[in-house]
Amino acid sequence: MTTAADWGHAAELDDVNGEVAIVGIGETDYTKASGRTAAQIGAEAAERAIADAGLEPRDVDGLTFSGAFADFGVAEFHAHFGTDHDMWSSPWGGGMAWAGTAPYLAAGAIARGEARHVLNVFPVAWATQRSSMTGGPGEVHAQQSLKQNLEVPFGFFPQPVYFASIMRRHMLEFGTTREQFGAVAITLREHANRTPSAVFRDKTLSLEQYLGAPMLADPLCLYDSCPISDGGAAYVTTSLERARDLARVPAVVRGVGEGYSGSGGHWAQQRAFTSTPQVFSTPGAFAMAGITNDDVDVLTCYDPFTIVSLMQVEDMGFCAKGESGPFAESGALRFDSGRLPYNTHGGLLSHAYVLGIAHVIECVKQLRGVAGAQVPECEVAVYGGYTGHMASTLVLTRS
Amino acid sequence: MAITRDDFPLPDVHDPLTAPFFAAAARDALEIPRCTACGTYVWYPAPTCPECGSGEIEWVAVSGRATLFTWVIVQRAFLPAFESMVPFVTALVALDEDPAVRLCTYLVDVADPAVLTANAPVHVEFRDLTFATVPGRSVRVPMFAVGAAS
Ligand SMILES: [Zn+2]
Repeated sequence: MTTAADWGHAAELDDVNGEVAIVGIGETDYTKASGRTAAQIGAEAAERAIADAGLEPRDVDGLTFSGAFADFGVAEFHAHFGTDHDMWSSPWGGGMAWAGTAPYLAAGAIARGEARHVLNVFPVAWATQRSSMTGGPGEVHAQQSLKQNLEVPFGFFPQPVYFASIMRRHMLEFGTTREQFGAVAITLREHANRTPSAVFRDKTLSLEQYLGAPMLADPLCLYDSCPISDGGAAYVTTSLERARDLARVPAVVRGVGEGYSGSGGHWAQQRAFTSTPQVFSTPGAFAMAGITNDDVDVLTCYDPFTIVSLMQVEDMGFCAKGESGPFAESGALRFDSGRLPYNTHGGLLSHAYVLGIAHVIECVKQLRGVAGAQVPECEVAVYGGYTGHMASTLVLTRS
Repeated sequence: MAITRDDFPLPDVHDPLTAPFFAAAARDALEIPRCTACGTYVWYPAPTCPECGSGEIEWVAVSGRATLFTWVIVQRAFLPAFESMVPFVTALVALDEDPAVRLCTYLVDVADPAVLTANAPVHVEFRDLTFATVPGRSVRVPMFAVGAAS
């Protein structure tokens, strides 16, 4: 029997509850192949976030970005804005799980006096790059030698196959049905239909369409899987004290968590096969914030596949392990359910595959009361980030 | 950076970490690395034992009996090499010696995937792995078939 202690752990984080807030958000258009570079997309997102915060580019003296996809770093910032001031920076920001932990890094830099206004930015242009087969989610994996020798030759590749195997095991262990996975896809599509920025704002999805869709990797069908997109977003974090002087309602950082599984990026060898490291990340974030699951008004989670949504909803404690299928089918994830409004912008599945950065933006919009599928009186919004071996949890509140 | 090895997606049988796996398969043997200090199977292969840290690891023969942990019927060809193969069944099988050791493998001779069941007994069958995109090359690998060993 695998116990929690066997397969992962939480990172030890300092208490940053109430120290910083997100005061500016910026998004580019989210599209299919745009012909733009990630650096151009990142610059536009940065510009808009800085303007939304009511700041000038020279006020931004901290930058967090993705070291793995270093498309918009300090050099690109200065080149775009024509600035040359000193900037604190960290390559441990950007999207995916790090979209949830970047505010923690900002809190540290601000507390140490190394920065006042920290921009986190994440652009992606995989839809454009895919036509030339450079970059993209599968290629990164195919280069790892263990996958190249023990997985790819056996057809266990790429991500749709990994997650189809987890989906199958969830169905076998817990009786989860295709209709229940379909409920996730359809709910998120309905949210996208209410969100003007969503790639799928004009395309509806019915259960009949879901069940009749082509299988990519049975049991995973077309609508269980997110499309590839171009787009990016950015947000500005500053001290709560400074935030009170700025124009926007601050989205206050109340809790941050970070959890890891022991098997790295090898999904085939995950000890707790149908679980995510949210098991380790969420408790610390909720404890730091002083909240329980019942306090959460909106949840957004990194959702490349329907199964990743269901696993995280379970692992974050919103329902018992194995119960997420019936939970989703009951309508609990709908924005107007009064239960657990989930990925209210449409998520990676139906909003845009920009790797989680838009999920954090959606949390801020919900707290400001300006989301497309707005949840009434949203006071607490939570982001669950996921990158396979790592999960993050970010708790934001309205003031 | 693209993969330049001209026999991809055949395994690289010279990669030191996994070469013994394919050398054993060439003899129709299934071997898994095991820590000689504490007896843990070290899977995936690693230079040191994740349990006790020992670097004394030897490849040992296992029975080839396993259970079907999960499977996927791949219908979209995610690589050009798979285009002439789809649909096929890729699976994770859990070894009888230690179910924590899961092999990625092909499930072969599956007449009807609808009858596959969780944790069904499976056994190893050695086959030559070939891809239409890598003409004239093959690597002997362990695949698995449903049922107790023959
Ligand atoms: Zn050992």
